[in-house]
Amino acid sequence: MLQFVRITQLNKFIMNTPHKTPSRNKIIAILKDTLNVIKIEFRTLFKDRGVVTMLVLAPLAYPLLYCGLYKNETLIDVPIAAVDCSRSQESRELLRHIDATQNVQVISKFSTLTEAKQAYNEKKVHGVVYIPADFSKKLNTGDQTTVSVYCDISSFMYYRIINQACSNCILAMSNQIQMERLNANGITGESAKIAASPIPYDAVILYNEGAGFASFLMPAILILIIQQTLFLGIGMITGTSREENRFHVLVSSTTYKGSTLRVIIGKSICYFSMFAAWSFFVLQFVPRLFNLPHIGIPFDIMMLMIPFLLSTVFFSMTVAVFIPNRETGIVIFMFMSLILLFLSGVSWPESNINGFWRAFGWIFPATCGIQAYIKINTLGADLHHISFEYISLSVQTVIYFITTYWAYRWQIMKSTRKSLNKAEITE
Amino acid sequence: MVSRPIYFIGTVVIMAFSYVFFLTFFNEGQPNKMPIGIVDLDNSSLSRQFSRNLESTQQARIVMKLSSHKEAREEMQRGKIYAFVEIKRHFSVDALSSKRPAITFYVNDGYLIAGSLLFKDITYMSAATSIGMERKVLRAKGIDERRIMGIIQPITQDTHLIGNPWASYGTYLLNVILPGILQLMVLLMSVFSIGVEYKERTSREWLKNADNTMFAALSGKLLPYTIIFTILGVIGNMLLYRYMRYPLNANIGWMFLATFVLVLSSQAIAVIFIGITPVLRDGVTFAGLFGTLGITFAGSTFPIEQMPSGVRLLSDLFPIHHYFNIYVDQALNGVPIHYSLSSYLIMLAFLILPFFVFNRLKNAAIRQNYPTK
Repeated sequence: MLQFVRITQLNKFIMNTPHKTPSRNKIIAILKDTLNVIKIEFRTLFKDRGVVTMLVLAPLAYPLLYCGLYKNETLIDVPIAAVDCSRSQESRELLRHIDATQNVQVISKFSTLTEAKQAYNEKKVHGVVYIPADFSKKLNTGDQTTVSVYCDISSFMYYRIINQACSNCILAMSNQIQMERLNANGITGESAKIAASPIPYDAVILYNEGAGFASFLMPAILILIIQQTLFLGIGMITGTSREENRFHVLVSSTTYKGSTLRVIIGKSICYFSMFAAWSFFVLQFVPRLFNLPHIGIPFDIMMLMIPFLLSTVFFSMTVAVFIPNRETGIVIFMFMSLILLFLSGVSWPESNINGFWRAFGWIFPATCGIQAYIKINTLGADLHHISFEYISLSVQTVIYFITTYWAYRWQIMKSTRKSLNKAEITE
Repeated sequence: MVSRPIYFIGTVVIMAFSYVFFLTFFNEGQPNKMPIGIVDLDNSSLSRQFSRNLESTQQARIVMKLSSHKEAREEMQRGKIYAFVEIKRHFSVDALSSKRPAITFYVNDGYLIAGSLLFKDITYMSAATSIGMERKVLRAKGIDERRIMGIIQPITQDTHLIGNPWASYGTYLLNVILPGILQLMVLLMSVFSIGVEYKERTSREWLKNADNTMFAALSGKLLPYTIIFTILGVIGNMLLYRYMRYPLNANIGWMFLATFVLVLSSQAIAVIFIGITPVLRDGVTFAGLFGTLGITFAGSTFPIEQMPSGVRLLSDLFPIHHYFNIYVDQALNGVPIHYSLSSYLIMLAFLILPFFVFNRLKNAAIRQNYPTK
């Protein structure tokens, strides 16, 4: 980032100075070199179908695809079966209420659990409500009765939805009967209310009021898509240039100390500017289009993108130096997307990730990037709430800039040495 | 195959790393003792008792005492706590004088798993507190002890989780993610190993070594991977069902068979990808995208039947979806094997696919008329 600032300052400086001295000529030469690198990088990028797929198509199409797949936030009318052994007015009322919920639907009634099990095995239903034979009798004699709910747990969503819908209905009916029984015991009016719930409780769900699946997972996936496409795209470009062995050709002037910096800055400006535009689309437009949470301040999100994108660019450029072929990156690092999703602490809470894996997660910009984006975008945090993530990403930017410098310098030296050797041999 | 590090990394190293990562990551089973906050404006013995009760739940741990709602909300936005409970001033006095003071709690469902687990525990504890109070009130009214339970809770609910009685989070995820990574690596490595012959212009020798029959050339190429990935997959099954003791209500042999068929069918799809364009770079890109999508299309994270229509048909194209169905039927629910036969057969049917691209692959191998970069 510092380098970026320095360049822009230099730019202004040069524009304001009419007279050119030798040192200024040098600065102009540096700028020309850098611009040249940017130009070449953009040209190689857009000429390559694979790279365009990874750096343009994937970051724009993937968010739409995943948002489309996870469009339904919750489950609607999950089919369940009822085993009503009571066959009473009360049991039918309870089943009617369960059927009337938005989330589940009682599609069939059986007289035994074995029959219901059969329907479950055939995947016709995902849950069973079992009402015992003495249900109505116990309700009339003032005793306690139990309703059993069997949930499919092949997916966490089935369990949560079926269990919740049933327990809401059971609780509502239970409360109503409780009132009747209190009245029967001579406790009425206000004192019945006090007796029924002396300490009422009030649960408030924040930031994802509908407990939606997409609202919870998609923000993390969006950041992950940005990091992974940028990473794999850079890996592809670097792998290709290694194969073609034209690493040094990217530097217009011959190898001297400043040139490494020019190559790095030129390339990073190219990737950064492109992904700044994409992240505007992915992080601002997509959440609005699919009605995902978006209560954050857009400016804060774009501010976050500066260290996030820069650290991702430099991280990728460092690692890419070790990728020997253009396809290797995808083969070796594709699976990391899954690992990174869990390391981010969005599904399995960050507080419960053990120390080793948490430290491992700090290697990747996505870990802090996802946390910071969710905090701003979903929880409505300000930049000062995410100062930890912001500083971490800035530190990563500096570290990965230095490692990129070393890695590129090492590569450029190697290629110069090789060409020198070749020159000696031909002589 | 042993000549380049990528072959070893793409098979053994990545699978071993994934096993170690996910098994150590989810070894708790469920996230326990997650940080929550409390805003106790009453600070009475009753409110402190409530805090202690919260501490004793499985999922919650009070990490901070906060002085206002605003402060608590900010800590939530910082991600330091996933929920907080607010107890108003005069809570204890109001409770004793029957003024029904409310306990309010806030959970952050931006982190859905943490939020919904804490929601359950805090609700339970709040209800228990109220019930304890209610029991005292009813006793004071002289109601018969036998009748009190009938009044407090006329209907109770008893929830059974079919096949996974512990509701372990690892069970939900690992039974899909580990086979998911396996099929991703099978796809990538199969495409890579075939595509590299075209890319490096060695396809003629490769075909010649197989007596110029594509079938022999492909089998020779893919068989080592079939063996390695099946062994790695079976090790994965053993880790899940023997070492971690995740629910297994059928013979483990059926899961071994499912893993083997998953490897075979993924290889068949890999051949299709490299057959459509015998260009390595396009092949690995397709395989990578298809493999990662497979984990969504398996149907564990969000049920396929509840996704937009059309997706359901699409999901049949992913072998991992059929593998997931076998896992649900066999390992989780333990239903008779004949329910799963169709899933095994569909996966085997993928093996017909490669025959459609044999000619194309053969021609490309001889003519070498595709770009190499």
